[in-house]
Amino acid sequence: MPVSTAATVTAEQAEVGTELPASTVHLTRADLIRYAGASGDFNPIHWSDRFAAAIGMPGVVAHGMLTMALAVRAVTDWVGDPSTVRVCSTRFTRPVVVDELDGADVTFTGSVSAVEGTRLTVTVQAVCEDVKVLGPTRVEVDLG
Amino acid sequence: MPISPEHAGRRYQPTDVYVVSQAKVGEFARALGDDHPAYRGPRACAPPTFPIVVAAQAWEQMFHDPDLGLALERVVHGEQSFESRRALMVGDEVTATLTIEKVRTRGSADWITSVAEIGTLEGEDVSRVRATFVHSHPHQEEECR
Repeated sequence: MPVSTAATVTAEQAEVGTELPASTVHLTRADLIRYAGASGDFNPIHWSDRFAAAIGMPGVVAHGMLTMALAVRAVTDWVGDPSTVRVCSTRFTRPVVVDELDGADVTFTGSVSAVEGTRLTVTVQAVCEDVKVLGPTRVEVDLG
Repeated sequence: MPISPEHAGRRYQPTDVYVVSQAKVGEFARALGDDHPAYRGPRACAPPTFPIVVAAQAWEQMFHDPDLGLALERVVHGEQSFESRRALMVGDEVTATLTIEKVRTRGSADWITSVAEIGTLEGEDVSRVRATFVHSHPHQEEECR
């Protein structure tokens, strides 16, 4: 996965429609195992192909919360200070299937959808294999 | 009795105290591939979705509540939101208190919306972690077994 880039945005600089730089994150099975350990979510759907197949999934899938966290990170990388996030919300619409050898690529794009005083709302889209894997992910930051 | 809309409003006991540690914040940030300096050191803040770690401990109470009869292998995470007054910080001592906010039956599944309120031992509200789980009903043949 790529490392952070230092960036800082102020509320004055942003307006509705301002686009974030697009980013693509390559996920591997090791990333899922690392996230399982860090989050405490050891559901076998995130590490066992046989379990995933038994419940009708095409294969091991990424934690929805990992994909959401990466969508939020697209915003925190852009604003610079992650402690400014006040609200984030999403829907888990499609699974991110992570191949054992090839992994999966998830691309995040976003733009400012609201500005109210020092508060900015950014709406992020997450796409894997041309399919939106999250509903619009809203991230609200307070830059005051 | 299986879960039904009548379970809305059910509230659980606060979880055991969770102490946000420098090591756990660092581990979580690394799991996101995020090396932001704000996540390092004794004054680190936690990533915005970190409250899930605390909330998940509260979910356990609901998932294992015998009155609800939830089958974990038929539960998927449908929606998630965090509303935070501030980021969790290293050194915070917090608990999560879970409430079932809403239960809707749609077709062959129950949509269960829960809210975990995360607050410090001093009584400061820090974060509200709202999760909607989709609990599919068992297939007919399973029920007959």
